[in-house]
Order: sequence, then structure tokens, then C-alpha cells
Amino acid sequence: MTKYLMKRFLLMFPTMLGVAMLIFFLIRIVPGDVVELRLAGDSSSVNAKVLAEERAKHGLDQPVWKQFLTWLWGAVRLDFGKSMWTGAPIYEEIKLRFALSLQVAVMATVVAVLLAIPLGVISAIKQDTWIDYAVRIFSIAGLATPSFWLGIVFILSMLIIFKWLPPMVYTPFWVNPWQNLLQLIWPALAVGYRYSAVATRMTRSAMLEVLREDYIRTARAKGLVEKLILSRHALKNAMLPVVTVVCLEFAFLLGGLVVTEQVFNLNGLGLLFVQAVAHRDYTLVQALVMIVAGFFIVVNFVMDILYAWLDPRIRFR
Amino acid sequence: MRAFRIRSMLLLALAVMCLGVALPAGAQDKPRYGGELVFAVPSEPPTYDGHQEETFGLMHPIGPHYNTLLRVDPFDKTGTKPVGDLAESWVIAKDGLTYTFKLRRGVKFHDGGEMTSKDVKASYDKIIFPPAGVKSSRQAMYQAVEAIEAPDAYTIRFRMKWPESSFMLNLSSPWNFIYRAEVLAKDMHWYEKNINGTGPFKFAEHVKGSHWVGKKNPDYWDKGKPYLDGYRALFISSSSAQVAAVRGERAHIQFRGFTPADRDSLVQALGPKITVQESPWDCVLMVAMHHEKKPFDDKRVRRALTLALDRYEASKNLSKIAIVKDVGGIQVPGTPWATPPDELEKLAGYGRDIAKSRAEAKRLLKEAGVPEGFSFTFKNRGIPQPYEPVAIWMIDQWRQVGLNVKQEIIEASAYHPMLKRGDFEVAMDFACGFIVEPDLDLHRFVTTSDANYGRHKDKVVDELFQKQARALDAHERRNLLRALEKRLIDEEVHVFYTLQWHRIIPHSAKVKGWTVTPSHYLNNQLDTVWLSE
Repeated sequence: MTKYLMKRFLLMFPTMLGVAMLIFFLIRIVPGDVVELRLAGDSSSVNAKVLAEERAKHGLDQPVWKQFLTWLWGAVRLDFGKSMWTGAPIYEEIKLRFALSLQVAVMATVVAVLLAIPLGVISAIKQDTWIDYAVRIFSIAGLATPSFWLGIVFILSMLIIFKWLPPMVYTPFWVNPWQNLLQLIWPALAVGYRYSAVATRMTRSAMLEVLREDYIRTARAKGLVEKLILSRHALKNAMLPVVTVVCLEFAFLLGGLVVTEQVFNLNGLGLLFVQAVAHRDYTLVQALVMIVAGFFIVVNFVMDILYAWLDPRIRFR
Repeated sequence: MRAFRIRSMLLLALAVMCLGVALPAGAQDKPRYGGELVFAVPSEPPTYDGHQEETFGLMHPIGPHYNTLLRVDPFDKTGTKPVGDLAESWVIAKDGLTYTFKLRRGVKFHDGGEMTSKDVKASYDKIIFPPAGVKSSRQAMYQAVEAIEAPDAYTIRFRMKWPESSFMLNLSSPWNFIYRAEVLAKDMHWYEKNINGTGPFKFAEHVKGSHWVGKKNPDYWDKGKPYLDGYRALFISSSSAQVAAVRGERAHIQFRGFTPADRDSLVQALGPKITVQESPWDCVLMVAMHHEKKPFDDKRVRRALTLALDRYEASKNLSKIAIVKDVGGIQVPGTPWATPPDELEKLAGYGRDIAKSRAEAKRLLKEAGVPEGFSFTFKNRGIPQPYEPVAIWMIDQWRQVGLNVKQEIIEASAYHPMLKRGDFEVAMDFACGFIVEPDLDLHRFVTTSDANYGRHKDKVVDELFQKQARALDAHERRNLLRALEKRLIDEEVHVFYTLQWHRIIPHSAKVKGWTVTPSHYLNNQLDTVWLSE
């Protein structure tokens, strides 16, 4: 088990290095640069001397390999430098947005899990009954509904019916939990519904498969209570693919809610990402990609641990 | 019944709009004290230094913290009338080579220090003669300034190398915040991350990506102002979220502008709770034609392109769906240097008889050897409003004179470098000014300008530009501007204008004391603004 986990842990480092190289060079292939964009404004133009001075200030006049090594050395020390657009330290740009995105991701995951697992299990147990059909319709509708669209529906409904709009400014949970929830519950519901749809489908099919296994039949034959069969033998074994889906979706939510964030005016990582790319803010884009990639890798690692817990065979392999 | 309701709503909307347009905000009821103005800002300041930034994302939240030497009269709808801000009075020498300003006394910075001529000099030295490593985006506007002197604590003097007709408006630039000399002497970059002005509101909080808060300055030099207790700028990048914020009364106003559709939906939803102010906007889309690429090196072809456009019909139709409206020449319609409509009609592409214009366009194309169905690529900036509708309209107009035009959309961030590289045949050019002033708007057409994307070389344009810039007599300057306009968009057609942008500000009817101007960079000090409830 230790060897298995150690191997997984060590694999994180070459993965991060690959990500770092890929994003560093990819962003530089895209035409346009941060200096020109910042100084060009709506229309005006500045002279070439000012542009050159500004580029030198950001180290953009250096050879690309040198820029990469300088940045990589900083990243190794967890110093991602300063935003080329605002000049503020990267951590300052990211910290509040990270907190918001993480909270939305956690809340959406809670919504999704709370919906998906009971619905998926019930749907599997009551296969081909009206309950199963209702759950299937609910989950297929969730798959077919983009979360940003559902978000727009929420906003318009609240505006038109209740003449009310959620707060537009993020209040951290520890400052004012009520204000915080008033703002974030809606995106969490919109995202959580679509997310739950995927997980419900997965839970249902995994449960159906497990319920037909020999060991379930054996458990029933020896007279075990149905509740115990379902919770201890069936559900735990059916959770492997569900955990994969839930974990990957959770990691995706951290930086992938661009449109939903726009709809609810959430000051999250997704929106920051888009702005950073539009501004060609190389340092910020690189830092964001590293953070999201790092998050994915950590979630994957946690997922590996969960696999080992759920399926003992993995531990002894 | 439904039709009657819709008609009633539209009539009501029209009445509300007219009311908003007709009444200057300053002429409304007695100002009420208190309240927090909440406004949406679609962009965010990269740094806090107005001397180096270009975005309204700085001006809207940060402008209220500062004063400038002069400012544009906040109640002047043309946005072209300079009035004193920190300057109390001034004398301009007859030869136009010396400008002497007397400063207000008893003006305090937010840190308690007194504002004197040392501060004005230090601020303008930073703008006009920045030391190495200090960026000043509008330095080029002050080439005529030879020296800045502070003969005593309350007098500031600008000595000029040559007279410049635009100088008073240049000094009214909303970007020229007066900073504290003592602070600048210690660190020229301090203002990039900190605020310390003399303005009506003190800095309270900036949460990146979220909001900016300003609180009333109780020691403001203009006694009785500001009326508001404070303001809160919400950074909202999505236009639909901005509209929702106003509709849901989470924000009173967004100072940049909304689309006609947004205006209509807000008016329909909020009725008398909304006031709409509109103005021609000091932003315009132009067409740049590469003078070194065939057949656009031929002025007959360039002329044909402008002749094909029915601007008057487009004004009627496009203004329903896009933020464009007025037919204008080289200056914003309705402002002091704008071309009167009857004179405008004499220029190529501005004639009322479109059939005649198009026949002429076809003749010119034929004469220049451009075959029927000739194809070229029009490069456009990847921003929906108003680039997309204007481009689609032009492509259709050009089709009607036998041209087959393909549109290529370039992502907004990559657009400006593309123009500078000259990597186009015909492309959308754009300009947005902060004060309607010929020097600021037309400098881009001088042969040596970095913004001369079409790469024309025209000594006549250069000379006319310089002459009008130095003409101190208004009549003479007007004539020179008309000659420059004729040369630029009629005789040589180095470039041509499409339609003037149109600024639409639907805002909560509670907001009083604010007047729309042609520039979204102006009138953001908020000292005259108050809330009726």
C-alpha cells in the first residue's frame, strides 16, 4: 500500500513539470502581448520606446528559455511572481478567488452527492418502475441542461417573480454566512444539478451491475438483511466509478466555471483565467494553470487512496 | 389589449427617456445628502495611477479620489467646456505662450497635507517630463510645453514652445490627477498602488475582482460637497450581469454605456424607476485601407468604398441594435468643432442620394481596373458591439457596388498588433477619446503617427493638422479643420468614418446631478451626484 501511494506521489512531480513546460510555451504562441494591450487602451498608441521599456520590465526582452528557467525557479519556491497586468503579487490576485471557487466547488459537490447517491440507488433498486423513470428523466434533463443556462433561469426568475437578485459582491463565509450563502447557493444549485445528473446515472448503472453479482446473491441466500446488503456490500463496491466521476468533476469546478461565474458575477478563478488569457498576462495564466493542475493531481491522489480503501485488491496488488 | 399595453409602455419609455435627455441633471431639485451610490464597472484598474493607465476601469472607481487642475464642466453635455477644479482663475498670455493659474487655498490631501503649486508642478512634471522608468501614457499631448514653474505656493505657470489651441482642454484631462509632491519625491511609483488625492471621496477598500469603496471626504474644499456618503463600484464584466444588477436594483448606474436592447429591456421592466440619458459618444469605428497594397493604393478605390455606404439609412436601422447612431465627420456631432450636416453632405459618402453615390462608386472601381465581384478580406475586431453589426452592414453595402468582401474576425487582444504590423488590406480602425478635441482625435492621421495604420504619407494633412493645432482664432481653426477633413476623408480618402458611437446610460431615477457627456472618461468625480431616496 505504502509503495503504491509513494509511486503515485512521486508521479506528481514529472506531471507538474510537463504542465509547466506546456503552458509556458503555449501561451507565448498566442499572438498579442500584455504590454501592447495595456498601453493601447481603447484606441491610443504609445511609442515603441515606452513599449520596449515596459517589456524589459517584465523580462519579456530575454530569450524564452531564460524566461522559463527564471519562472520555473520561482515556481519551485512557490513564488509565481507578479501579475504582468496589475503588477500585484500573484498570490494576492488568486487568494480571494481561490476561496470563492473552492467554496462553490465544495457546495456544488455536496448538492450533487446528496442528490446523486440516493437517487441513483433508489433508481437501481426500483428498476423499471415509475420511480426509476422519474429519476432517469430528472437526470437526463440535468445532463441536457447547461449550468449557465440554469443559472440565467434562476436569475431571471428571481428578478421577474420576486424582484430580487442575489448579492453581487462576495462576502466570505466567516464574515457573514447568511450573505455568503445567499450569493453562492444559486450557482451551487445550478452547477450541482448538472453534476448530480452525471453521478446519478453512474450510481444507477454501477449499482445495477453490482446487484447482479454472485456475492450479493450469496448474501441474500444466507439471509442477510436487505439494508445491510445494499449499504455494506453493494453500495461500497458500486462507488468506485462514482468516486472517479465526483472527484474529477470537483477538480474541474475549481477553474472551469467560466460562464456560470459570469452569469452570477462570481469573482472566481474561471473568470480570472479568462481575463488573464485575454490580457496575455503570462505570469498569471501560468500560475493559474499550475494551481488547477496541482489541484487535479492532488484530487487524483486522494482518489487513489479512496480506491484502495474501497477495493482492498488494489492495496495488495 | 396586449398591443395597447405594449404601445403604452413604449410611450412611457419614450417620455421617461425624453425627460432624462431634456433636463440637465444640475437643474433638478435641491440636492439631498446621504446614501451610497452603487455603480457597475465592466473593467478593473490594472494599477491606481491615472497618469499611466488608459482604461475607464481606472477612471470610474478612482476618479472620485482626485482633483485635476482644470476639469470639464460636469453639466456641459458636449464635454468640451473647461472650468476650474484646483485652479481658481487663470490668465492666458496674448501670444498663447504662457498660461498662469491661481490655485485654490485650503485644499487638503486625504493624508492632511496642504495642496500647493509644488504638488501641481510635481504631478505635471511626472506627466510631461517623466523620469526614466516612469510611464506617462499621455506625455505626447504636451509636446508644446517648455517648462512648468511654481513662482509661489498658489501660482502655477506653463511656458509653451509654441501656442496650442487645445491646451486648456488638455489641462482638463480627467487623467491628470494631482498627486502629492512629497510622496512623489520619495517614490515615483507610490501612486501605482496607493491613493492620496484631494478629491471628494477618500479611499476605503479595494477587493480585487469584486469591488471598490470610497467614503465621503468631510474636509473637501468645495464646502457642501459631496452629497453622497460614499460610493461602491462593483466590477462586473458580463454585460448581462450589469443589466441584471441595474434591473435588480443592486446597482444604480453603469457609467460606460448599455446597448439599445438593454435600454429597452430596463425601461420596460422598471418604467418610471429608470431614467435614460443619451449622447453621441466620442468613439468611432473607421475603415483603414492599406495604402501599400493594391488596389487600395488607388484613391479611386478608397473613394468607392466610402461612396457605397448609405450612412443615413444605417443610422436609422443600426441604432436599433447597436451602439452607433449619428452620422458624423472627424468630430463628434453636436460638439463645437463638428461639421454642420449641410457641409457634411458635400463629402464623399455623405450624400443623400445613395443611388448616385453608388453609381459613382461603380464608375470609379471600373476606372481603377477593379473587376465586378472583386474580392478582398475585411479584418474586424472580435468584439460584438458595435464591431459586428457595423461590419456586416458595410459588407452588404460594398456588395451593392459589386465587391465581394470576406470578413475575418481577429481576437480583440491580437487586433492592435495586427493593425500595427499592417497585416491587412482593409480593416476596422477604432478610436475613443476622453475629451472631444481635434488635436486629440486627429493626431493619429499625421504621417508619422504610430496609429497611421493605413500608412498614408500626406504632407498636406500633416501641415493642416499642425496649423489647426496652433490656430488661436476659432474661425481660422474651424476653416483649417474643414480643409483637413476634406483632404482626409474626401479628396484622398486615407481613411473613412462609419457611424458615431452612441452612449446610452439607463440609470436609477434616484441618481441626480449627473449629466451624460460624449466621453465615458469624463464626469466621474461624483461631487455633484446625489440620490433622491
